Amino acid sequence: MNDRTTENMTIKPKKNHRSSEPVWWALFSAGGVCFAVFIPTAILFFGFLQPLGLIDFSYSQAHNWFFGFWGLMFSGAFIILPGFHAAHRIRHGLHDLKVQRHGLIKVICYGLAGLISLLTLGIWFTGIIS
Amino acid sequence: MKTIHITRYLPESSEIPFVQQFDIPADDSTSVLDALNYIKEELDPSLSFRWSCRMAICGSCGLMVNGKPKLGCKTFLRDYQENITLQPLAHLPVERDLIVDMDVFLTHLEAVKPYLISDDSLSTEPNKQTPTQMAKYQQFSDCINCGLCYSACPQFGLNPEFLGPAAITLAHRYNLDSRDHGKAQRMPLLNTEEGAWSCTFVGFCSEVCPKKVDPAAAVNQSKVESAKDMIIQLFKGNL
Ligand code: SF4
Ligand code: FES
Repeated sequence: MNDRTTENMTIKPKKNHRSSEPVWWALFSAGGVCFAVFIPTAILFFGFLQPLGLIDFSYSQAHNWFFGFWGLMFSGAFIILPGFHAAHRIRHGLHDLKVQRHGLIKVICYGLAGLISLLTLGIWFTGIIS
Repeated sequence: MKTIHITRYLPESSEIPFVQQFDIPADDSTSVLDALNYIKEELDPSLSFRWSCRMAICGSCGLMVNGKPKLGCKTFLRDYQENITLQPLAHLPVERDLIVDMDVFLTHLEAVKPYLISDDSLSTEPNKQTPTQMAKYQQFSDCINCGLCYSACPQFGLNPEFLGPAAITLAHRYNLDSRDHGKAQRMPLLNTEEGAWSCTFVGFCSEVCPKKVDPAAAVNQSKVESAKDMIIQLFKGNL
């Protein structure tokens, strides 16, 4: 009952400061679609069909396929966008758990997603030029 | 007979709220509001609660019934087991018994300029509108300002500066109205962190809304509007 005080909860007039959220929300939404559509196919493919020997996909085939146009698409749809989706969820989840350091959490969550993205693109790019 | 446990708060006699139990004769037509009126008339006249219309129109009888925001006049004892707990609406400061201070909620409603803003204030022409144009916002105009959605919203609970479901819905309702020209004045507030962007699409607001306004839909459509606004301002070089 302590959180329900009769104290006046006055709302300070604040400058209308545009939120950066649309950017993160757009990445989150795009990543959500990827999570729903692409990730299950990856699990099916790499988690079941391939280990069960139902399809034949050798390392060299995978290597050739990844270091091309489709590899870039794969990176975006299976790693980068889902990464930002997950980061957004974790960030808001921590907010719901009343973790207060909003700025720091934002930097850590999106920073990690950004780092994973850079790493993925870096690997793809070095593979392309080598 | 039903047993009702009411969280009471009488600031002049005790700093601490306490729970009081009442036994109520009930039939199929007894609403929670009927039960409260029975208590006030027959058992304990000191009980305080708000009500007016008894028909889900005025929006003043909101309270928590077994932990869920409800209108007292639209909730019936027949739908509950033996024991029912009544508490004041969550997330708002309690003034006395089941009466909460709605000031924050009203300030938020006011902040979104919930009225038609014309581009030509001198015009005496009537504002015409086709049924199709009206259908775009009609559902969002059914709100009775009961505040149940604010009690349901965990984000408002965490940060009362969040505009909240009903206020954003009201802003969206006027933004969708063909007679209105005030969208540019409302967007700056919706674009803020405390505007549409504090919402994490929990959706409980739409579940508890007694008028099926679907505030969660309005808030999320407002997010799309805000994102579009950002892109437009970016291209115009205003960001
Ligand atoms: S949107 Fe629904 S729940 Fe919220 S204040 Fe309006 S009528 Fe009540
Ligand atoms: S008494 Fe008016 S809405 Fe319940």
